[in-house]
Amino acid sequence: MQKTEAQFFDGLTAGRHDVHVALSDDRQAMIITGDTLPEPLRWTLMDLRALSDTGHTDRLTLTRHAETDDEAPRDPARLVLLDPELIAWMHRTRPGLFRADMHKGTWRKIGIYTGGAVAAAGLMLFVILPAMANTLAQIIPIEREIAFGKVVVRQMERVLGSGSGSLRCTDPAGIAALDKMVTRLTETREMQYQISSQVFDHGMVNAFAAPGGQVVVLRGLLEAAESPEEVAGVLAHEIGHVESRDATRHALRTAGSAGLLTMIIGDFSGGAAIALVGEKLMTAAYSREAEAAADLFALDMLQQADVSADGFARFFDELDDLQGIEIPAYLSTHPITADRADQARDFAREQSGTRPILSDAEWRALQNICR
Amino acid sequence: MDIRYTGEKGPLFGLALKTGLLTIVTLGIYRFWQKTRIRKYIWSSVDAGGDTFEYTGTGIEKFLGFLVAIVFLAIYVGIIQMVLFYAGLNIMVDPETATTQEAIAQVAAIYITFFAVLPFILYAMYRARRYKMARTRWRGIRFGMEKGAWGYVLRAIGYGLLAAITLGILLPLQTFKLEKYMADRSYYGSARFTQEGKWSDLYKAMTHILIAIGIVVVSAIAMAGAAASETVGLAVLGGIGIFVGYIWFFFGSVHYSVQSFGYLSRNKVLGDEIRFDAQPRTGFVIKTYILGGLLLSLLASVAFGIVGALATGFIPLMQDGSGVAIAMFGVVMAIGYIVALVVVQALSMILITQPILGHYVETLKIRNAGALNRIAQREAETGVDAEGFADALDVGGAI
Repeated sequence: MQKTEAQFFDGLTAGRHDVHVALSDDRQAMIITGDTLPEPLRWTLMDLRALSDTGHTDRLTLTRHAETDDEAPRDPARLVLLDPELIAWMHRTRPGLFRADMHKGTWRKIGIYTGGAVAAAGLMLFVILPAMANTLAQIIPIEREIAFGKVVVRQMERVLGSGSGSLRCTDPAGIAALDKMVTRLTETREMQYQISSQVFDHGMVNAFAAPGGQVVVLRGLLEAAESPEEVAGVLAHEIGHVESRDATRHALRTAGSAGLLTMIIGDFSGGAAIALVGEKLMTAAYSREAEAAADLFALDMLQQADVSADGFARFFDELDDLQGIEIPAYLSTHPITADRADQARDFAREQSGTRPILSDAEWRALQNICR
Repeated sequence: MDIRYTGEKGPLFGLALKTGLLTIVTLGIYRFWQKTRIRKYIWSSVDAGGDTFEYTGTGIEKFLGFLVAIVFLAIYVGIIQMVLFYAGLNIMVDPETATTQEAIAQVAAIYITFFAVLPFILYAMYRARRYKMARTRWRGIRFGMEKGAWGYVLRAIGYGLLAAITLGILLPLQTFKLEKYMADRSYYGSARFTQEGKWSDLYKAMTHILIAIGIVVVSAIAMAGAAASETVGLAVLGGIGIFVGYIWFFFGSVHYSVQSFGYLSRNKVLGDEIRFDAQPRTGFVIKTYILGGLLLSLLASVAFGIVGALATGFIPLMQDGSGVAIAMFGVVMAIGYIVALVVVQALSMILITQPILGHYVETLKIRNAGALNRIAQREAETGVDAEGFADALDVGGAI
């Protein structure tokens, strides 16, 4: 390495020093000399570091590895090399030139901070927010819950119907049959909510419970069902959700955790998608319990109303056939349907004195409610 | 002293693409290092009088700052959002029987969530600027900014309300006072910046916004008059007028942001004697937005088109309808989509962000630069939270 011109900034003032650099006699250090420097500087080659990710190849800015208060362990002084040969020599002989050093104890700090953040987020997502949602769902006035439920049902109607007007099925005989079913299920027990049920004209095999006692069955489910008892089982299940305020609780919890999750995941490409999957996983873990509880509620309700749980079991069988792709249990919001079918079948075996919930004519009217 | 911007398209695109993919692979954790590395590139491309700027921030401190912010915000955001949602439910009304008043209250309850986080967003904005200053060096000397984030929050809310109440008439007051608050707390080494000038001078930059509003108002009156007198020609004219006013308003807003930056830069003083000259051109910025935007959308459609073409290759496999083939198809689509998104982000960096930044830099000059030599170093700043709040609240954009 020949004696070469370079620029030096001492890290004390903004003045530029024109200097010469050369290799020391023992070849272990770089000697920096200049008219404006009080004395020659000796920078050990081992300690040399260069700035990374810079936008130019014709200049190399050197600094030294040193324990300082800076954000990285670096000497504030800078040496700028502009000589191509010297830059090439540095690249060739100093493999550790672009090494990123960290202050002592950084790993420990990372561990503590990560632990703290994970604990805080976990505590919020899995303990505090669910507990708050629980409490708030209990104290919300029922008339507010009903108003909220109506908004939700309207929203669902808009989504399912892609905005094309009302989906409500209005055939009077069908409505009478549906009401008869609900009355039969609910008359023998103390109810917190006035159940109001309706059918939407949509081909999907599904039903849902909105807050405040609104239960909606989709036409696809009525068509797929082979007996009124199947529909009764599903209705009882949804009424179970209504009575335990699952929808309200779920909405409250989502309101708290959704913002939190997107904040943690951040807004890099696809971040929103990952946050959505995270929310889905949490919902699944949370609602599997709710689903299992609603199943038990439904079986109990069927028992009290003297309705056979066989239909409920058959509905699960059909659902199982419908699901072409096997969804892993932890991803599905519903417990594995085969297990649920078995549970209902076992229950039905114990039942006695059951009687049909609808006559054949009423069942036909219900199935044709959307005509 | 002239300032040049030497950044190029190729290397920055490569860097943005590489770090973007790393961010995906690490489920987002690398994004702190991504931002740091891109800043290092951009800072080092700014060359004042032959000496380049340096960005000394590190990915690790950004990551740690983010973790700290998460602890605070997790608790605040989670609870506040649920409570506000509950409050919203409590004034929830039956959509069929609601009065207008009740409906308005309900909408307000939904938007109040934003205002609950707003102080933190403003706080994060100040802290982010302070962090960037503290991590910027030129000729080995640190820039810096004093503490004062909560003072900024109060003023930003106050001036923001004033501007909103006066329908934007006091917007220059807001722009000027907030910039002055930040500039007066900024340092280069031992020398302090001062913001001089008058807020009312910014009305000159606002001219085109006012013209646009004038066009819209006159056109609306014309349309109202046309409706009253049933004159078709006048109505059409009014409609065209509103459209023109709308476009004019967009350009006027760009003009305001470019020219207010120019005015505020020209009236900054460093120390007692170092001044600046800034002549950014609105035309260049608008041209870059339009041409860059067009090119970007063209290239974006190519990128997403390639993903679509790749995905169609899987369709024959799906004919047998097996779950595995469908799942594979989904995975390929998802990965392709995310990669295409990263490509588009990198493209927007080199087609829009970098050229506009380069233009601002190149049209800036330092007067009386000799006095810079006498400026001394300032203390290293260790207490900054490395803009963790800004990262958590997603404030600050591409760089």
